[in-house]
Amino acid sequence: MVLSQRQRDELNKAIADYLASNGYNSALTEFLKEASMPMEIDKKYTGILEKKWTSVIRLQKKVMDLEAKLSEAEKEFNTGGPTRDKRDPSEWIPRPPERYTLTGHRSPVTRVIFHPMFSVMVSSSEDATIRVWDYETGDYERTLKGHTDAVQDIAFDHTGKFLVSCSADMTIKLWDFQGFECVKTMYGHDHNVSSVTFMPSGDFIVSSSRDKTIKMWEVATGYCVKTFTGHREWVRMVRVNQDGSLLASCSNDQTLRVWVVATKECKAELREHEHVVECLAWAPESGFPAINEAAGIDNKKGGRSGPFLASGSRDKAIKMWDISTGLCLFTLMGHDNWVRGIVFHPGGKFIISASDDKTLRVWDIKNRRNQKTLEAHQHFVTSLDMHRNSPYVISGSVDQTVRVWECR
Amino acid sequence: MSSKSTPADIPQPVNDIQGDDRWMSQHKRFVLSTKEGEPEVVFIGDSLIQQLSQTELWNRMFEPLHCINFGIGGDQTQHVLWRVQNGEMDCITPKVIVLLVGTNNYDHKAEEVVDGIVAIAKCITQKQPKAELIVMGLPPRGEKPNKLRDKIATINAKLAVDIEKVPGNVTFLPIDPSLFVNSEGFISHQDMYDYVHFTNKGYNKLFEQLLDLVQDLLHEFVKVENTSQDTDSIAGELATRIP
Repeated sequence: MVLSQRQRDELNKAIADYLASNGYNSALTEFLKEASMPMEIDKKYTGILEKKWTSVIRLQKKVMDLEAKLSEAEKEFNTGGPTRDKRDPSEWIPRPPERYTLTGHRSPVTRVIFHPMFSVMVSSSEDATIRVWDYETGDYERTLKGHTDAVQDIAFDHTGKFLVSCSADMTIKLWDFQGFECVKTMYGHDHNVSSVTFMPSGDFIVSSSRDKTIKMWEVATGYCVKTFTGHREWVRMVRVNQDGSLLASCSNDQTLRVWVVATKECKAELREHEHVVECLAWAPESGFPAINEAAGIDNKKGGRSGPFLASGSRDKAIKMWDISTGLCLFTLMGHDNWVRGIVFHPGGKFIISASDDKTLRVWDIKNRRNQKTLEAHQHFVTSLDMHRNSPYVISGSVDQTVRVWECR
Repeated sequence: MSSKSTPADIPQPVNDIQGDDRWMSQHKRFVLSTKEGEPEVVFIGDSLIQQLSQTELWNRMFEPLHCINFGIGGDQTQHVLWRVQNGEMDCITPKVIVLLVGTNNYDHKAEEVVDGIVAIAKCITQKQPKAELIVMGLPPRGEKPNKLRDKIATINAKLAVDIEKVPGNVTFLPIDPSLFVNSEGFISHQDMYDYVHFTNKGYNKLFEQLLDLVQDLLHEFVKVENTSQDTDSIAGELATRIP
């Protein structure tokens, strides 16, 4: 080891300070004499030797973390396919490592959603709050407070001017997303409200609850205008199809149901899952060709026109349903624990799912194949969303964090 | 023996001797967690159950099975019985319940402890008739052979017989003392750091069989992750990762 004169002086002073502060007085006297140093030691050397000692280990750990991240990124670069510009947007899928880990929630994150217009996303949590983040910069923006128990679900209307949330406190709240104020609170469910969404027009809100019902609310008045009954247990999630004519819901009774909005009639009851059905998603039209191909139907001879519905369950399976026939077209197996979230890729070729096995998985619909698995969080992954035109996926977890994933 | 406060099979909340109300706080938290949570497996008992929730084994193998832990340190059978009767088993529908309690009943005779455990088992099967209840035998304790170990052996022998008479889905899981007691009759601090509570290594031995049984009953198996595990110290991590 070669130290410069200045470094050697500093080391000597640090050693002298160490000897002095630990009471090694005779060693100190001898040391000062041998190193021909003055008796006074500058204050700025207090504890410096010990600090350096521990910082070596800390830095070593940091280096290892960064090396691990680098090797992951290198692997991704070498084997994970071409860069984004060389790839069609319909092929963009989320890839590790994550771009941001957003911390702030004090309980498990229950839902994450993108804003339809701005570069912000919103997360809800069992800590009773809703948080707004900028997913491009990773900045925390604000917190919406008002619910008194776990917030279960959140949704934007198509303009992004209104946010709706529902909670275990049995209420639904409508938030003005420009002034960030709660403008309406809707009461009517008799138990935990598990899921909420806007009708495509934005005039009505649909909610589902542990009280086994689905309710429709008029935004203008806040009144409950329709109640859909039929599920035998807790309704976990409700989603509206693209034109607003049908509702799909899933339940602890292990079934999915499809309802005609106009008549409140239950059009189909879909049974095949062997455990609670946690989540569902309507297939966008862009996904029809891939779904038909996966089901073995020739698109040229006039494939089925659905509508199609994907569902995820605690039985670890993802199922694709044809609502026109009420049949399950195919099942995707691969998750090692409950499936908690499911979204269609806007390009229609992929499904992305979140699970209690702590992963996000990308499924190639056409080939019914688990194309990519991301070790996403340190605990159960509860929810995910994919942006409609920007290359981002977000995930929320019981580990209380939200993660932003870039797609390539 | 005249100072004996409560029988082992009559429900009784813990007397808050220290004055910080922690026991009741924990009970209330457990009851609250049953209102919204949907556990598939519930662990209930004393510190041997409670400390399991702080282990590597729990994070890796039990948490993925959607387990919750209702262990409270120091609990005797009558205390667990009180908790079971006062809300901890009311709003949930677990598939499996695991009970381990009795080692703290220092004031009660072996037969009384068995009666206490049987009373809890009866109460649980009544409240949760669809669940499978696993009653664990008591592990041995103390560094060297001692009276408590003898009492525990008596409890385990009688419990194995008496638990059969509890109606419902009840399984007794005996604990083989030779897992922890060596040929000279000693228990190692590497298994039980204070000769009653378990180390990570001890927990792996104690709960290995139980994990198999729980997975059997759930028809579900945890896939062990191949990601690197968190180690307790930086030094430990450096030691394992630097060749």
